[in-house]
Amino acid sequence: MKPAPFKYVVPDTVDEVLALQAEHEDEAKVLAGGQSLVALMNFRMAQPSVLIDLNGLTSLSGIENGGPVIEIKALTRQLEVERSATMTALPIVAEALRHVAHVAIRARGTFGGNIAHADPASELPALMLALEAEMVATGPDGERVIPAADFFKGYFTTSLEPTEILTSVRIPTKQPGAWAFMELARRHGDFALAGVATLLDVEDGRCRSARIALFGVADTPVRATEAEAFLVGKDPVGEVLEEAARITAEALNPSSDIHAPGAYRKKLSSVLVKRAVTAALNRGDMG
Amino acid sequence: MSVDAKPTATLPQYVGARVLRVEDPEFLMGRAKYLDDITLPDMLHAAFVRSPVPHAEIVNVDIEAAQALDGVVAIYTAADIEANTTGPFVTALPRDEIMPVTRPLLASDRVRFVGEPIAVIVATSRYIAEDAAALVEIDFKDLGVVTNAEHGLTEDAVQLHDDVPGNNIAHIEFDSGDVDRVFDEAPHVFSKRFHIGRVTAAPLEGRGVIANYNPGADHLTIWSSTQMPHFARTLLAGTLGMAEKKMRVIAPAVGGGFGVKSCLFPEEAVIPVASRLLSRPVKWAEDRQEALSSSAHAKEIIMDLDIAVDDEGTFLAFRGNYVGDAGAYAIFPWTSLVDPLLAADVVAGIYDVRHVSYKVDSVLTNKCPAGPYRATGQTGGYLLRDSLIDDIARAMDIDPVELRLKNCIGNEPYVTATGFRYDGGSYAESIRKVCDMIGYDKLREEQAELRKEGRYLGIGVAPYVEPTAWGSKSAQKHGFPAEFYDSASVTVEPDGSVNVTVGTQSHGQGHVTSLAQVAADQLGVRLEDVKVLDSDSDTAVYGAGTFMSRTAVVSGGSIMRAAADVRERILALAGQELEVNPSDLEISNSTITVKGSPGKSMTVAEVSAVAYFGGERRGEVETLTSTRYYDPPETYSNGVIAAVVEVDVETGHVKMRHFAAVEDCGTMLNPMIIEGQVAGALAQGVGIALLENAVYDEQGQFNTASLMDYLYPSSNEVPTMDLAHLVTPSDVSEGGIKGMGEGGLVGSPVAVVNAVADALSPFGVTINSTPLRPADVLAKIEAAQAGNGGR
Ligand SMILES: Cc1cc2nc3c(=O)[nH]c(=O)nc-3n(C[C@H](O)[C@H](O)[C@H](O)COP(=O)(O)OP(=O)(O)OC[C@H]3O[C@@H](n4cnc5c(N)ncnc54)[C@H](O)[C@@H]3O)c2cc1C
Repeated sequence: MKPAPFKYVVPDTVDEVLALQAEHEDEAKVLAGGQSLVALMNFRMAQPSVLIDLNGLTSLSGIENGGPVIEIKALTRQLEVERSATMTALPIVAEALRHVAHVAIRARGTFGGNIAHADPASELPALMLALEAEMVATGPDGERVIPAADFFKGYFTTSLEPTEILTSVRIPTKQPGAWAFMELARRHGDFALAGVATLLDVEDGRCRSARIALFGVADTPVRATEAEAFLVGKDPVGEVLEEAARITAEALNPSSDIHAPGAYRKKLSSVLVKRAVTAALNRGDMG
Repeated sequence: MSVDAKPTATLPQYVGARVLRVEDPEFLMGRAKYLDDITLPDMLHAAFVRSPVPHAEIVNVDIEAAQALDGVVAIYTAADIEANTTGPFVTALPRDEIMPVTRPLLASDRVRFVGEPIAVIVATSRYIAEDAAALVEIDFKDLGVVTNAEHGLTEDAVQLHDDVPGNNIAHIEFDSGDVDRVFDEAPHVFSKRFHIGRVTAAPLEGRGVIANYNPGADHLTIWSSTQMPHFARTLLAGTLGMAEKKMRVIAPAVGGGFGVKSCLFPEEAVIPVASRLLSRPVKWAEDRQEALSSSAHAKEIIMDLDIAVDDEGTFLAFRGNYVGDAGAYAIFPWTSLVDPLLAADVVAGIYDVRHVSYKVDSVLTNKCPAGPYRATGQTGGYLLRDSLIDDIARAMDIDPVELRLKNCIGNEPYVTATGFRYDGGSYAESIRKVCDMIGYDKLREEQAELRKEGRYLGIGVAPYVEPTAWGSKSAQKHGFPAEFYDSASVTVEPDGSVNVTVGTQSHGQGHVTSLAQVAADQLGVRLEDVKVLDSDSDTAVYGAGTFMSRTAVVSGGSIMRAAADVRERILALAGQELEVNPSDLEISNSTITVKGSPGKSMTVAEVSAVAYFGGERRGEVETLTSTRYYDPPETYSNGVIAAVVEVDVETGHVKMRHFAAVEDCGTMLNPMIIEGQVAGALAQGVGIALLENAVYDEQGQFNTASLMDYLYPSSNEVPTMDLAHLVTPSDVSEGGIKGMGEGGLVGSPVAVVNAVADALSPFGVTINSTPLRPADVLAKIEAAQAGNGGR
C-alpha cells in the first residue's frame, strides 16, 4: 500500500496551480486534506503523475460572513467549520459535520475537498443541495459559479473541469426555519447507509416549502423533489408524512454493496425522512 | 500428567493483587519497538506479488519488466524458494481421519485464493518493491471456485488439492451415550442451523518479518511479529534446513496477535531465504490489505444442532453437525480443525447432558486459510447451541436463565459426555451473579414497559466453560494429538535481583507483570526485584508460545517449580550463614528471617553475594538458578456474559446498551489484567455479532480488503461494562491457576445475538447467522411479520 511514483509540487498561488493543471491536465491531481486522495493513491486506485499540494495557499482558507451568504473557502478544515462561531447562523452545517468521519480526520480533511471529492454517500454534498449553496470554481478564464444542483454529476464526478479548482462554497444565510440532519451508518463515523438533510418552512401548520436531500442512495446526492412538492401546503405529520416518505423512497433505486442491499437503503430512506421531518418540526427553527 | 506438584507459595502477597503493569511505561512513552520500527544497516525491503484471482493455473510469470526497475535487487519465485528450503509446509495431525495438506511457500503451478503469494520482490525500498510488483505479469487459467463449504463437499464441486479428494480435510464422528434412541423417545426435539460469518482477528499491528543472515557466522537472526518465537524457530529450522543453534528468533513488541500470530506463514520462511541468498537484512511488514486478505481468517462454520428436551425443559441429548470453511490450505501447524472440531467438542458447555454426538467436516474453499482466533471454534459452537437454547426457552415459555440453571452442572469437578474433566467451577453461581449485576428482573420489567412505547430492549445471558492451559493433555483431550513443552528459568543475579525467562511471549497480556507476581511470591522477593524476559529464543528458555489461554498455567506453573528450587537453595545458603536450620527460615520482602528471632536476618542480595563470590562459604549449595518445565493437566475456567441491547425495529439498527461479565479462572494472578482481557474480548464480540465479515463474492473475489469494508468495532460501538470475579481454584493445576484469555469471546457474540432475538421476541424472530447488519435484522423482522418465523 505505497503510492506509485509521482512528482510533488507545492505552489504558492492559485495561478501557479492553474498553470500546472493546464500543463498536466488529467495527469495532475490537487491535494487538499488528503483524507480521501492519499488512501486512493496508496491503494493505487489513483495514480496521478503530478500531485499539486494546495496546502500552501493560505488565501484558500477561512470563513467569511457576507450577509446574505456565508462563504467557506475550499481549504478550510472541516473541524474549523464545525467549530466556527460564524457557522452558528447555520447550525445544520455543524450537525452534518459531526457525522463526517472522526475528529482527527475532520481536523485535516477540508470542506472543499469533501465536496470536490463528490462521494455520493458523503454528508456535505447532500447538505449543499439542501442549502441550495453555490460552488465557486476558478479556472484559466477566472471564476465560475455553479449551483449545487448542477455540481454533482455522478460517482466521484463533478462539473469541475480538469483545469479548474474549487475555491469556495457560498451558502445563503436565509434558510427555511425548521431543519434536521439524520443518517444511519454501521459504525459512528462511517459513510452512511443512507442519510437525509431537510429544511422546512412551516407556517400555521402548513409547509410553505420543503427541502429534502438524501445521500448514500444514488450515484449523486439527490433532492426528493416529488415529496417536497407533495408536502407544500400540507401539515407534514401522520399520513401526509407517511405518504411523503413513501414518495421519497419510490423515486429511489439505490445500489447494493456489502453493507446493505439497495432495497434496504430505499426503506431506510423513507424511515429517515419521516424521522427527520418530525425532528425538524419539533425543533422549530434554525436555532 | 505430573504428580510431583509442589505446594503454592505460603501466603500470596502479589498474586491476586491489582499490580500496575510494569511494561506499560515503555509503551505509553512510545519507546517500545515494534517490528517496523527496527532498521538495520544495509537493509532491503520486500513486497509480495499476490494472486488477484481465486483459483487458477499459473501459466506464466513474467518478471522481466519488474527486474529491470531501478532499485530492484532480486525477485524470487517458487522455484528459487523450493531450491533453498527442505520443502513446503505440510499440515498434518496423527489422526487417521485427517488428511495432510501441502502449502507451497510461493505458489508455483496453481493459486487457490486471492492474496496467495506468488513471488517476492526485494528492493531498496518498499515503494520500489511495490512498483515492481505492479510490473510482474502473470497469465492465469481459470479453474472455477468453491466459495461455500457445503458446496465444496458436493460431488461436482471444483477440487482444490489433488491429494485431498472431495475437498474434505477431515471427517470426524463422535458418539457417546445413546443419542439416537434418546432423540427417538424425547417428547421435544428442537433444531437449528447457524452460519457464523468469516472474520479475521486483525490485530492492530499486522504480521512482519526481518531476517538478517550473517554469512561469516553462518547465523540467521529473525525478528518476527509472532506469538511463539521459540516454536517458530523449531518449525523454521526444519523448513530452512538449519540447526536451531544457528538461528535466533526474536519477537519484538507485538501489537496484538489473537491467534493469527500463533501460526507460521509462508512469508516467515520466504524472507529468511531471501536474506540468506542476498547476505543482507530483508524486511517485510505486512500492510492492511495483506493482513485482511492473506494472513488468516477464522470462525466460519455452517452448523446444525438438535437438542432433545423433556416436558420440564431438561436437556436430554445433543446432536450436532459442523462444516468448517478451511479456506485454501490447512493452517500451519495447527490444522483447519481448530474451528469446526472445537465448535463441536465444547457442545456440552455447562449443561449436564450424557448423550452427545457430533460430526465434523473441514472443507477446502478458495478463501484465505482459516486459523485460530481467540476462542477458536468455541465462538461458533456457542452461537449455535446457546441461541438454540434461547429459542427453546421461548418455545416452551421458560425464562432462558431459568432454563440454563435447570440444566446446569454442579460446582464440583465433572466429566462431560465428551470426556473432558472440568476441575470445578462456579457454573450456576456465576449466572446468578451476572443476573444480580444487570438487575435481571428489573430489566425484564423495563423491557415490558418499553415495549408499550414501541421500543425493543433485549437481554442475552451466555454462560461458558473455557478449556485453557493448552498443553499436551488439553490438546489431546480436544482431539489434537500433539506434545507441548514449556519451561521457565529463575535466576538470582549477584545483586539479589531475579531474572525469570519463559518461552511464552507476551503480546499485550501483561505477562511481564503477572508472571513476575508469581515468581516474587514463590521466592519471597519484592516484585520490583524481578524481571521477566520472554520473547527471544537466545535469551529465554524454550516454550511453545502464548495462545489458547495457556501462559498463566504453563509458565506460571513452570515458574513456581523453578522458583521453589531456587528458594530452597537461598534458604540453604542463608541457613549456613546464619547457622540455623533452613526449615526455621522465612523469606519475604527479599529478606530472610529466622522464625521467632526477629533480630537475625539476611537479605537475598547478601545470600546471592555469597552464592556468587563467597568461595568456600558456598559449601555444597547449588547455583541460584533453576529451569523447570510444566505440562499441566486439562483445566477449565468458567464465566458468564450478559448483553443488553436495544433494537430499532424500523431500521434494524442494534444499539449495544451494556455488558456484564463474571469470570472465574481459579487463582487470580492479577484481577486488573484479567479485566483487561475480558473487556477486549467483549469488544471483539460486538464485532463478530454485528459488524465484522470477511466477504467473498460468488466468483471468489475478496470484497473486504480495507478497513472501510471490514468493520472492527470502535470505542463508539462498545458499551459500558461491569466486570466481576469468582474464584474456584483448580484442583489439579499448580497454584490452582486456570487460563482465561479467551472466555470473553466464547460467550459475548451469542450473548449479543440472544439479546437481539430477545428484543425481537414479540415478532418471533429466529437468528441464524452473523454478523447482524441493520439490513439483516430488518429483513428478519419483515420475514417474521410475513409469517414465516424470520427464517
Ligand atoms: C476513516 C475515514 C472516514 C471517513 N468518513 C467520512 C464520512 O463519514 N463522510 C464523509 O463525507 N467523508 C468521510 N471521509 C472523507 C473525508 O471527509 C475527506 O476529508 C474528504 O472526503 C476529502 O477531503 P480532503 O480535504 O481530505 O481531500 P483530498 O483527499 O485531499 O482530496 C479528495 C479529492 O478531491 C480533490 N480536491 C480536493 N480539494 C479540491 C479543490 N479545492 N478543488 C478541486 N478538487 C479538489 C482531490 O484532487 C481529490 O480528488 C472519511 C475519511 C476517512 C479517512
